[in-house]
Amino acid sequence: MTHTLHRLGSWNDLAGDYVFLMMPSKGINVEGSGEKLRTFLKIALAHNPVSIGDARKGNAYYQGGIDNLLANVEDQAVVHAVFDNKETVVEMLKELVKADLGLSVVVSGITSEVHEACRAAGLERHTVEHSLGRWGRTDKLPPREILEITNMCGHSMVPAQLVYKMIEEIRAGRRTAQAAAEELAKPCMCGIFNTKRAARLLAALATNL
Amino acid sequence: MQVDKDLCIGCGRCVLYCPVQAISMSDDGRHAVIDQDECVECGACRRSPACKTGALYQPELTYPRIVRSILSDPLTIAPESGITGRGTEEMKTNDVTARFKRGYAGVAVEVGRPLLGARLKDVEKIAMAVARFGVEFEKINPTTSLMADPKTGKFKDELLGEKVLSAIIEFAVPLSKLEAVLYTLERVSHEVESVFSVDVCSRCNPDGSIPHEEILAKGNWWYSINAKTNVGLGRPLAQE
Repeated sequence: MTHTLHRLGSWNDLAGDYVFLMMPSKGINVEGSGEKLRTFLKIALAHNPVSIGDARKGNAYYQGGIDNLLANVEDQAVVHAVFDNKETVVEMLKELVKADLGLSVVVSGITSEVHEACRAAGLERHTVEHSLGRWGRTDKLPPREILEITNMCGHSMVPAQLVYKMIEEIRAGRRTAQAAAEELAKPCMCGIFNTKRAARLLAALATNL
Repeated sequence: MQVDKDLCIGCGRCVLYCPVQAISMSDDGRHAVIDQDECVECGACRRSPACKTGALYQPELTYPRIVRSILSDPLTIAPESGITGRGTEEMKTNDVTARFKRGYAGVAVEVGRPLLGARLKDVEKIAMAVARFGVEFEKINPTTSLMADPKTGKFKDELLGEKVLSAIIEFAVPLSKLEAVLYTLERVSHEVESVFSVDVCSRCNPDGSIPHEEILAKGNWWYSINAKTNVGLGRPLAQE
């Protein structure tokens, strides 16, 4: 518990960062789940996601493209889709209610906004999990503005020094903020790194840091 | 992870992709060097676009070092949970499992996250502190498998020096004990060498309110404006 949870940011920033997850449960509804998970990803693709991913097989970059990612989804995979606005969260939830795939769905994002989205889709939230932040030797961590970017990969695959390097390259005109964000997304195997949000944060850091 | 010195051209790009900064350049700058004590075997460097010559290679890992890979490489499937990653289904499938029942809080302490990684002796320290509450650590969590005695949170001695990107201590407690557990975590946070991320979940009340939120708010514990929400679409719904 849990890779999509500990995302850091201001309200305005997180308002552009919602992660959907769908997964089956071992011993309950795993059999035949691969096709349902693929259907979820196809529904997500129809709603202009920032990214989609499969935690079992790796992100689209690692698998050589979205077609491969879709083809390789297996039973017991955990799949994701990232969106940049609440309206799409509502639309996604409505579609998922209609599709009735029967697998568990989790939405990470601003708690009250997701709650409103659930109600707009006719759903009542079942279980909620909050982050209580970082404890212990936080003095060893990079500053918050760097963590806001690295924490978008919940498995800590995006290193702080790579973020600093990307900021340097944006400043030097060797990369655009979007290209830098896409480079940072490559190590995030689950595909939950929000490149659109990262590009926005990187552009600001290249100017202000 | 190892570097084949004959293939490495000393470009230094892999240094950028190591989450725990275990890669540096040799004194003569001719090839990369991986500090084997710091490397958590996450595989990020080899999967990254950094190395164009195939100089990074993964030797076969044996016990106890292999636990580094299990708790660090996001594509390793843990035999206990059957899924990739370091955790479990936890609240993600609570609608069909009822793992966290009404009246209880699920708690997870992810030691080493973010970015620093942790020695398992730090993980043991935290596990032993919360074990005093009589909690049952989640059996299918790979971190629990590393304990010599899950009742006390004592880890196997040979594992204590191993470093992982993160290890998740996962358990449920009655909501009435949640605040005491948090005080204990706060106390032990002054005794560890790394960081840890804490999270709390609970089954929502029939009116949609969140039982643990009231406890956190009244106790003035910081919690995030964002959260994970299980929207209850799994079937069959667990009997409660």
